[in-house]
Amino acid sequence: MSDLDRQIEQLKNCEPLKESEVKALCLKAMEILVEESNVQRVDAPVTICGDIHGQFYDMKELFKVGGDCPKTNYLFLGDFVDRGFYSVETFLLLLALKVRYPDRITLIRGNHESRQITQVYGFYDECLRKYGSVNVWRYCTDIFDYLSLSALIENKIFSVHGGLSPAITTLDQIRTIDRKQEVPHDGAMCDLLWSDPEDIVDGWGLSPRGAGFLFGGSVVTSFNHTNNIDYICRAHQLVMEGYKWMFNNQIVTVWSAPNYCYRCGNVAAILQLDENLNKQFCVFDAAPQESRGNPAKKPPPDYFL
Amino acid sequence: MGAPDRSPATSNSMQRVKVYRLNDDGKWDDQGTGHVTVDYLERSEELGLCVVDEEDNETLLLHRISSDDIYRKQEDTIISWRDPEYSTELALSFQETTGCSYIWDHICNAQRNLHFNSLNNDTFHSMNSELRELPAIELSTLPLILKIVVESGITDQMRLVELIVANQDFFKKLMDIFHICEDLENLDGLHMIYKIVRGIILLNSSQIFEKIFGDELIMDIIGSLEYDPELSHVQHHRNFLKEHVIFKEAIPIKDPLVLSKIHQTYRIGYLKDVVLARVLDESTIANLNSIIHANNALVVSLLKDDNTFIQELFVRLKLPTTSEESKKNLVHFLHEFCSLSKNLQMVQQLRLFRDLMNEGIFDVIADVLQSPDKKFVLTGTDILILFLNQDPNLLRSYVVRKEGIPLLGLLVEGLITDFGEEMHCQFFEILRCLLDSYTLSGAAQRETVVEIFYENHLSQLIDVIELSCPPEGLYPLSNKVGHSGVLKNRSIVKPEILSNICELLCFCVLHHPYKIKCNFLVNNVIDKVLLLTQRREKYLVVAAVRFVRTILSRHDDDLINHFIKNNLLKPIIDAFVANGNRYNLLNSAVLDLFEFIRKENLKSLVKYIVDSFWDQLVQFEYLASIQSLKVKYEQCLDDFGTRGTITNVLDPRKRIEERALEKEEEDYFNEESDEEDTATASVSNVQKAQSSPVLCNGVAASYPPPSPRPGGGLVDYDDDEDDEDYRPPPRKQSETVEEDEGALYTLRLKRKPFHKDKESEKVKKQRLGKNSKTKDGVFAALCSTLSQAVLPNKNAVSSQHSRPHPLDGNKSSEHESPKEMDENALKSSTDDGSSSLDEENHTEKQPISSKKCSDPLLKPSDNRQLNGEDCSLIPPNSSPEMTVNGS
Repeated sequence: MSDLDRQIEQLKNCEPLKESEVKALCLKAMEILVEESNVQRVDAPVTICGDIHGQFYDMKELFKVGGDCPKTNYLFLGDFVDRGFYSVETFLLLLALKVRYPDRITLIRGNHESRQITQVYGFYDECLRKYGSVNVWRYCTDIFDYLSLSALIENKIFSVHGGLSPAITTLDQIRTIDRKQEVPHDGAMCDLLWSDPEDIVDGWGLSPRGAGFLFGGSVVTSFNHTNNIDYICRAHQLVMEGYKWMFNNQIVTVWSAPNYCYRCGNVAAILQLDENLNKQFCVFDAAPQESRGNPAKKPPPDYFL
Repeated sequence: MGAPDRSPATSNSMQRVKVYRLNDDGKWDDQGTGHVTVDYLERSEELGLCVVDEEDNETLLLHRISSDDIYRKQEDTIISWRDPEYSTELALSFQETTGCSYIWDHICNAQRNLHFNSLNNDTFHSMNSELRELPAIELSTLPLILKIVVESGITDQMRLVELIVANQDFFKKLMDIFHICEDLENLDGLHMIYKIVRGIILLNSSQIFEKIFGDELIMDIIGSLEYDPELSHVQHHRNFLKEHVIFKEAIPIKDPLVLSKIHQTYRIGYLKDVVLARVLDESTIANLNSIIHANNALVVSLLKDDNTFIQELFVRLKLPTTSEESKKNLVHFLHEFCSLSKNLQMVQQLRLFRDLMNEGIFDVIADVLQSPDKKFVLTGTDILILFLNQDPNLLRSYVVRKEGIPLLGLLVEGLITDFGEEMHCQFFEILRCLLDSYTLSGAAQRETVVEIFYENHLSQLIDVIELSCPPEGLYPLSNKVGHSGVLKNRSIVKPEILSNICELLCFCVLHHPYKIKCNFLVNNVIDKVLLLTQRREKYLVVAAVRFVRTILSRHDDDLINHFIKNNLLKPIIDAFVANGNRYNLLNSAVLDLFEFIRKENLKSLVKYIVDSFWDQLVQFEYLASIQSLKVKYEQCLDDFGTRGTITNVLDPRKRIEERALEKEEEDYFNEESDEEDTATASVSNVQKAQSSPVLCNGVAASYPPPSPRPGGGLVDYDDDEDDEDYRPPPRKQSETVEEDEGALYTLRLKRKPFHKDKESEKVKKQRLGKNSKTKDGVFAALCSTLSQAVLPNKNAVSSQHSRPHPLDGNKSSEHESPKEMDENALKSSTDDGSSSLDEENHTEKQPISSKKCSDPLLKPSDNRQLNGEDCSLIPPNSSPEMTVNGS
């Protein structure tokens, strides 16, 4: 068994890697991710997953329902970290799978894959607590900069974490973004990760999130038409039923964190596409309490003060 | 709903019911129609249902609400029950569902109260249902206690807390029962005790915490929490705390209070993070955190005020006879000590750090940094980071002293040292923090640090790159000795180190534009960094592209001319071409660079690129960016054609008010030509005036005007033809007398006059930094509608449209704790229950104002990102129409 396979097994048990292993993993991941495009091409069949947010045991449910990687191909739409108890294990497992099976799993960037956001919503603190220093956080956030911004499945389904940008009318315009940077506060890259579709606005509207835009049905129609795609698949917003179509099936939100924050009471969903792009939503619940380990926040066993 | 009595119309229909009674034949008899109320029955404390006939006001039904579970609600309009007094089934059929659910809620409430009363009866309750005293604590009363703890209302909870606190023996007795249950393996009892203890902790009372976290009780309390009925396995918390946890004493702590607090803190943290992690609510967690916080503050301040303790610590650290092992322990202790001092108040912490500095902590760390044990070295850097987080000037003031100079060298050395498996990004962070020029305080010391860094260390870093990037892919002969000789035996450097160096250089470009300019032009630094494009690792090639992009973002004529003269974009183009049609990060980064050059209207670069590389680039003409570059080129050619000259395109971008100032300089620089095509002049001027608030632009523009060439004593590097066009940085007139040929070195050493320049530059930078980046595209659209007449106000216009700099280190935003906002929003969204909840509506302004400044080390990087590297296209506050036009 290679080191990597062993690390994957270890992570599947929700045991974090050593700092040195994280470093090696990140360096390998960097070499793989640098070769990916801003609009990463993905072949069907593939299973699309929305936000995970560090809910490790719920992600294990996801794999139970959707099948293991690499038997099933996966596309994760970002927001792997923050809020849940296991951002470190969640992200490292996905990253390790990426390094092990680069063609079988695609990870794109969410708005939480950012230095600033992770400092507020938990990943930073979790790294500090689990490793006693923020080095792991630094390495992981450096990797975030390399993550692709979107994916295109069989030229027909555009997948992105947040949504559209007024600066982007064609997919080709995404190409000229040098994505290796912290998520900016405005501009195309920011919008792709932050925007939301919204029923009430026609055209573009200001987003209450303070970043990105709200965009209405007409925007989606013309984007889909211009780029000759069937529909847009995105995540970024909690939907109680796990998924939600909008604008006459032109855009779908997929949410994969059941019982979000361990208390929202929602179900989660993944979207399975077969080789002919036939859709099947698979809805699943949070992992039962028994299957959860003790929160692995154990403090270091020795202390001076 | 609250007004059924006052508005008869609604109340009537809401309360209107038919009363049915099941007769002996099993059929429902209609007893009449009336209005139902819930009220106290006459002369009693009991609640009952009363139905009064709507016609004759006779009482149709009088029913005492029973505590038994006899009531059923059917189809939203019927409540039925088996009535003990009538000994048959009764039913109320409501006219309205709201009326039905209103009465149903009342019945349920009344039942709940009844339950509680009957449970405690008169022993534990006074007549007005207040909890009077606790039952005796025995195995048999555990269910009762559990009920009280778990089911009390809010007023009873407060009473419960009082009772528990007043009862000296409560916990002792409870723990005695716990031990008995544990001995007897009475799982039911243990589960009940778990729930009782958990419930008591969730009462979130500081007084109770004080009791149960005391030395006598805390282990038992944690023990009782091992029996969570929801977990299939018994946990082994006590075992972990007793067997696996090691308390280390680097220096024996004599004060028993300190010792006790240290242990208590660890255990409370364990309770919070491990034992009850899933159980605690936010307010309890907050309360526990504040206990930990207060404990830490107490421990640190007691220790720091214990003079003998600190002195002994440093004596031992410096004693040559101290063993390596115990020295390590001492340093680890010091690390924890410094890190816990975050719990002190700012002023106290600063005082403590000053004291530690005076005791010689930086000497100790300099020592640690030379240890062969890499992990140990990193503990040293972690301590430095704690100091930098507190106040970077402490370390700066040490580094500028004679005895401190080696430390800076060690840090640079650390940056380029292979730490094998260990992570060592700390060195990069520390250096960045020391060299950060965006901070206001301690300018003089920072300048000195920067000075030392450029004098002694920059070339060292460049050498590392040069030696690891041999031309033609051959590794260099190891006998090539680096500038400072440290590279003698360093043949191959890990790519991550090169990546760190490159990032640090980008940082320097943004923070010390002036120094960088001198240094880069004189030492051919750019060529050397561009050797990275020959590395196999694509992320290094991308890093080199980014380096170029950062330099160009300064809009510095001299640097741009330097690129053109020395054909410095060749390696970039070569890498791009070699990458072929692969759509990867390298492809995007180079296209982004081209887009930048085109959009920023850097005509000389456009011309240079197309003139020199079109043969290679033509195969990529299918890419929009390459096409547009060519179009731009042709436009420029047209411009040149009509005017017959080549424009130094950079000048018009300078702000109009500065143009007058710099006229002389321009005249000189524009010796080739300074003409613009009249056809495009109005738009492009507007455009440029618009883009001038961009940070880098502004900084570039804020150089003081140089003296005109003849009297300026400019350096003429006739020995270096690469630099023949080098225009040394501007100086004050007063200096020009002293300067002569080759005076650049004098110039570099002469700090004083520059300080002034730098200060003004800095202030400007800060001001400009507040404007977010704007793009000419958008504003061209905006401004093309504006007449020339408003041009002078253009800056104001643009700053209105750009949002404030989000990362101005606005610590005040901490008051508005983002976490709290977060929680509230989360709650409201859950309560809301609507189907598509915006998970982060509350994050409104999240990226803008709620930045937690917990790690000042990050600021430089963020600034860099914001100022220099973001390639955002649309200011979010601009109107949609505008953005559409702009894109």
